[in-house]
Parts: sequence; C-alpha cells; structure tokens
Amino acid sequence: MGKLSKSTILEVLFWVAVAGIFFGYTFKFNQPIEIYKFGATGWPRVILLLIMLVALGNLYYNFKNGSKAQQDRVGMGDDPDEVSYDTLDIHVKTGFILIIPFLYALSLKPVGFYCATPVFIALIMCAWGERRWKFILGNTVFIYALLLVLFMLVLNAPLPQGNVSPFYDVSAFLLKMKTQFDELF
Amino acid sequence: MIDNFLAGTATLFGDPFTIGVFVFGVIGGMLFGAIPGVSMLTLAAILLPFTADLSPAQGVMLFAVIYCTGTYGGAITAILFNIPGAPENAPTAFDGYPMTKKGMAGKAVGAAVLCSAIGGVASALIMMSATEPLAKWAIMNIGPPEIFALVFFGLAVASSVGGRTIWKGWLSVLLGLLIATIGQDPVGGINRFNFGFSDLAAGIAFVPAILGFFAVSEVFVQAEKKAAGKYEAPELSVDFPSITELWAHKIAVVRSILVGFFCGILPGIGATLAAFMGYGEAVRWAKDKSAFGKGELEGVISSETANNAATGAAMIPLLALGLPGGALTAMMVAVFQMHDLEPGPLVFYNSPDLIWVVFAAMFYANLSILFIGLLETKTILYLLKIPFQFLAPMILMLASIGAYISRGLVLDVMVMFLAGIIGFFLRRSGYSIPGIVLGLILGKIGEQNFAQGMQMVHYDLGTYFSRPICTILVIAGILTLAKGLYSAFAPISKETA
Repeated sequence: MGKLSKSTILEVLFWVAVAGIFFGYTFKFNQPIEIYKFGATGWPRVILLLIMLVALGNLYYNFKNGSKAQQDRVGMGDDPDEVSYDTLDIHVKTGFILIIPFLYALSLKPVGFYCATPVFIALIMCAWGERRWKFILGNTVFIYALLLVLFMLVLNAPLPQGNVSPFYDVSAFLLKMKTQFDELF
Repeated sequence: MIDNFLAGTATLFGDPFTIGVFVFGVIGGMLFGAIPGVSMLTLAAILLPFTADLSPAQGVMLFAVIYCTGTYGGAITAILFNIPGAPENAPTAFDGYPMTKKGMAGKAVGAAVLCSAIGGVASALIMMSATEPLAKWAIMNIGPPEIFALVFFGLAVASSVGGRTIWKGWLSVLLGLLIATIGQDPVGGINRFNFGFSDLAAGIAFVPAILGFFAVSEVFVQAEKKAAGKYEAPELSVDFPSITELWAHKIAVVRSILVGFFCGILPGIGATLAAFMGYGEAVRWAKDKSAFGKGELEGVISSETANNAATGAAMIPLLALGLPGGALTAMMVAVFQMHDLEPGPLVFYNSPDLIWVVFAAMFYANLSILFIGLLETKTILYLLKIPFQFLAPMILMLASIGAYISRGLVLDVMVMFLAGIIGFFLRRSGYSIPGIVLGLILGKIGEQNFAQGMQMVHYDLGTYFSRPICTILVIAGILTLAKGLYSAFAPISKETA
C-alpha cells in the first residue's frame, strides 16, 4: 500500500466517481452540432479524461510520498493547526457548523429573509461556541438592524419575503413600514 | 489627449451631482470590496437599475470607478481574513494572509494600497494615450486562437500555484473547468449536466460560487478551528512598508503593470488572470521561490499591481470593441444599452465626452485609492480586533444577500453554501480554491474561443499554430505544465516526506 492512507483512497474514489457519473451523463446530450465537429460533449469529455489521469497521478504521488505537501509548492503548505477528528464532539460541532447555513438557505423561500435571518444569526453564534445569551441577543439585534438599514432602507434591495403565513405577513408588515418611512422624506 | 483629459476633468468636477456620483463610486467600491462577504459586484448589481436615472456618462463612470476601487478593496479582506473580495484578489491572499498571521498586516495592506494605485494610474495613462491604436492592434492580432492560448497558459500558471501538490493544483483547475461546463454549451446551446434541474440551464452563476468557495469555506475553516480550540486571532500591526522595502520591488511592479495590461486588453480575460499571471511571474523570476506563499511582500505587490493594471486595459476592448472583460464590465454594457448606446468604435466619435469623463474618473479614482486608502488603512486594520463570533455571522449574512441579489434566486444562496461546504473539504485536503475559481471563470471563455478558433482554421493545427502569439503562449503553457510534471515525479527530500 506504500504510504497510502484511507483518506487518499477515498479521495481518488471521489474523483473517479465524479468523472464516471459526469461521463455517463454526457451521453444524454451527445447531439451533433452542425457547425462544430467536436459537438457539445468534446470539451467536457477531455476534462473528464484529464481528471481521471490526474487523479491517478495524485494516487501515485501519495503512494510514493504520503499526503505531505510537495516541497516547492507556492501558495499552500501543510497546515500546522489542522484539526484532527479524533472525538465525536468535534464531528458533531463541525456538522452543525456546516449544516446550519444550508438549512438557512433552504428556509429562505418559505420563511423569507426577514424572519429567518435573526434566528440564523443566533444559531450560528451558538454553533460557533458562544454561550453568553446577552452577547448572542445583543449581536443578533445589532447585525439584523445593520442589514435592514443597509439593504432595505439605503440600497432598497429586493430580498426574499417568504411564501408561508405568518412569515409572509411579517415580511409584508416590515416592507409596509419601510414604505411609510420613505414617505416621511 | 491632454486637452480631452482636461475637458473630461472639467465635466467630472464641474457638476456637483457628478462629483457626488464619483465620490459614491470611490467609497462604495472600496467599502464593498473591503467588507468580507460582499464585493464590488454586489454593489454593481444593486445599483444597475438606478443608473437608468443617471446620464450615460455618469452611469458608465460610476461603474468604472467602482471597478477601480473595488479591485483594490478586495485585497483588504484577502489580506486580513484570507477571503478575497473578488477573484482578482485571490493571489493576494497567498502571501497577504500569511503576513497577517505573522503580525505584518499593516505592511501587506500598505503595499496593496500603493501598488494598486500605481498599477491603476499607469494603466489609466496608457489607456488614455493609446486606446485607439491598441484596440486596432488587438483587432488585427488577437483572435479566438490567441485568447484560448492565453487561457491555457493562465490555467497552467494557476495550477502551478496553490494546492498542496501539483496534482491537487491541476485537479482544482479541472474541477473549475468541469463546473463551468454545467449549463448550455457555448456553440450549439445544448443543455449539459443539468441533472433534471431547469434552473441549471443557465449554468452556475459566478457570484454565488465565488462567494461560497472563498468566503463561506474560509468561515467554515475558521469555525472548525474555533470548535476544536485551535483558533488564534491574527496579531494587529499598523506598520506600513518603508520606502526602501517598496523600492526593492520596483522591477516586480513594472513587470506586473505590463502583465496586467496585456491580460486586461484581451477581451474576456480581465483582471483575474492578470493577478494570477503577475503572481506567477513574480515566483518565476524570484531568487528565493520558497519564500512565496509564506508571507512574501513581493507576492502582494505583484498580484495587486497586475489586477489594477488590468482595470484600465479592460476598458479598451469594452469601449473600442464592445467586448466586456469580466462580470463588472459586462454590467457596464448593460448601462450603455439602458441609454440606447452601444459600446464599440462608434462611441469614440458619437460620444467623446462620455469616453473622456470615464477616462478622467478612472485616473482620479486610482489616485483616490492612494490617498483614501492610506487614510483608511489604519482604521480598517482594526477589523482584526472584532471577535470572530460576531464577524462570522456577519460575513455569512452579507454573502447570502450578495448571492441572492445578483439574480434574485434562492437557488443561488443554496449553491453558495454548497460551494462553501465543498470548498471546506477541498481546502482541508489541500486543493487550491483560487484554482477552482479561475477554472470556473475561464472555462466557458476557453471553450468558446477554442471552438471558434478551430472553426476559423478549419480544424487545421498547422494554420492554428502559424499565428505567432498563439504559438508562443501555447508553448509557454506546455513548458509550465512540463515543469510541473517534472517536479511531480522528482524525488522528494527526506525531511518533507
């Protein structure tokens, strides 16, 4: 096995899977283009072939040298502070950190920006390890107010309002307040 | 030229409202560039509908000014937080962020301010004096084969920097190229890789992908460190680089101006490739290559000079040929169209006032970077004092809004967070995020120009390589790849193995 680790093998499998799935999908749009000899699949297939070749090169490199950084690389090296996942706790914490923003994105369509945002800000701070509730509350209010002033009042940016009651009603109320505020000036 | 420039200056500063638009553009561009999570593109997307109420000169000038100052502003977040404000600032983070970690943030930001201003002013001067002849030269000598060759060379250079190994550098660029193939193919308009989602027919939008890969993934990396108790706030320092330190890099500045201007002048290429090429050339010519990526001042200088040098040059294909060089210049085309104008050679004859107001504004905007930049730098460095628990949700929120505003699609916010999660895992595994982003940006341009070039020469490679600029760039790209391949198979020393 040389210096191969489990993660390296997983990495190579990932690239092979990506190349395989995408290559398989190219047959779905494999139509000729009259004015272009290589068609719609030529360019992506070359990229997929190169991905396969380079992934194998990466496997060979890891087999010979392990996962350490190449000595003359510019712009990136081994991270001395790299987090090791040896406890369940760190898995759970990182899982929350990654999942919460994605749940926020999913909630934007039904709940809307105006209702989902304060909850999300507070949740993120909790996930990041903050436990002082006054700090969380204060910062949530501050950030939310700042965003509303900048994007709603100053820049007049259209933000998602949600499509489920009562969230939609709250967004509509805030926008009505904004219109009345605009009319004052 | 001087008369036209003075006339442009008089128009710019002769009307209080135009001055207001200029100042708004300067400060807005810098602020949106310097706030982690949003970028000059966010501001431009928000402002686009409002330009209908401005005169054509004011509208185009506003976007040109935002382009100049936003390109500089993005360097600040790249240096302080490892979050490039725009793709053109990505190479700045290679050395800027390690400098911040070493307590040299002041030096890095100071160098970025000065070199952005020098690059931008030099570029503006060349643009003013030579737009028409340069545009004519470009029309005669630059075609799809040359643009494809430059994309190829640029991607070869980009894969050689960033990434823990050359293999990972290449895989990063290839992943970016693969993502760029999602959506309609540029020749026949056939839908590719939409996996049944109709929203993917338009492809993956740049803004959310870039925000996800750069800003969100970096926040996740820092959050992971915080969760594991390994997070350390960077040290604050407000020391500027000395004149002697800057003078020592004068050759790098001149080289980066030339590289940046050449990249900027080519349609579709823009400042991003300029920054990578400027950085790549700095590494290539350096006596001690090993210092790069660990906090080398020349890395920041080269990247920032080159990207700002491309801003002026990018106006040449836009104004003279009507071809935008990037997302922001594409929005400028929209501003022209809103006022029933079409950028192209006729603009110089039909609307010379507009052209010279824009030129003058870009010149003064680049000068403003120097003065306002130096004034604000010491204040901006105090961003490092803000607790991460406060900064992180702020960055994520701004990024969410930035991603949503560009097209008004919630899908883009999801794409952004998905890109953030993928970016997080790829960063941990030593892949190059700037490489992915460059592949994503240049993928479609490369494919389109390859296809056009092949059609032009009737698939005859002999004719393709009879074009000298194309041949030189392709050979340079192949040599760069060959050098990388050699290093990949060269034996590794025992202390690193």
